[in-house]
Amino acid sequence: MHELSLIQSLLEMVEELGAEKGFQRVGVLRLSFGRLSCVDPQALRFAFDVEAPGTGAAGAELVFDILPGVLYCFACEEERTMTSHELQCPVCGGRQVILTGGTEELKLMELEVD
Amino acid sequence: MSTKVTVVKNVLDANDRLAAENRTLFADKKVFVVNLMSSPGAGKTSLLERTIQELQGTWKIGVIEGDIQDTYDADRIAALDIPVVQINTGGACHIDGNMVREALPGLNIDAMDLLFVENVGNLVCPAEFDIGEEMKIMILSTPEGADKPAKYPLMFQSSTALIINKIDLLPYVSFDLEKAKRDALILNPKLLIFEISCKTGDGLKDWTRWLNEQITALASK
Repeated sequence: MHELSLIQSLLEMVEELGAEKGFQRVGVLRLSFGRLSCVDPQALRFAFDVEAPGTGAAGAELVFDILPGVLYCFACEEERTMTSHELQCPVCGGRQVILTGGTEELKLMELEVD
Repeated sequence: MSTKVTVVKNVLDANDRLAAENRTLFADKKVFVVNLMSSPGAGKTSLLERTIQELQGTWKIGVIEGDIQDTYDADRIAALDIPVVQINTGGACHIDGNMVREALPGLNIDAMDLLFVENVGNLVCPAEFDIGEEMKIMILSTPEGADKPAKYPLMFQSSTALIINKIDLLPYVSFDLEKAKRDALILNPKLLIFEISCKTGDGLKDWTRWLNEQITALASK
């Protein structure tokens, strides 16, 4: 359940940003992460509901930009968006591929503040 | 009236900063730090026992043992006459940069060449938390199945070497060794792969020889 640690770090970051930029209330937090990074959106929301009360982000909306898994296929000579967890080209089925996207770590992209 | 504030920052930024401080300290002290990761029961402690026995004549070694609770693993390492500090994470599923920093006063790293950090058994979270290590090494054991690279890509992607352990069990388990290696290399084309058995000792020499070369390279910098 690393989502709890991630949310705790996120809330500390938001408090620091509030002190630095002079806001107190956050309405929306936009987060991004890769689909293959083993971050679970539901667990993030649950951890946020547990941890946010009492902070400036209490009651805020979480918006997720989930980045797809991407494989470069040597046979197609193209980047392909993964449609399953199988590490093979979703178009030609080839296994001469390299993962080029989808394990991006959780980032705070943007806040909407009052 | 709400305002948008652009941030674009890693959520684990605070941990990354602590880990960077650890890394500077380890570089100053010339300690080679290995972050050892795997699922529970893959053989982290067994690999440590074997590796320590092989290298303790050459290098001064220390170990940080991370466990959710208990000291079974730390007791096994201490039996080899190696300084060991236990971190009980108290439920947390990984070791972070701060836990390592707090454990350091319990070890005399001035008199140390090689420090192993045995992470909590888990294929998800430890991959995300930098602790300031020189390299991450992961173990996959054959009974776990060859589907693990595809299921836990980050761990394979962030490791320098993959140790496939329990190869003595290959005749008894349905583990597709070629698929495991192929998928691991799709995730991380630079990954080094060692096939070993901590029980029989097969393949161990290749691993310890390689590790020895890495430590020698750092020590002579």
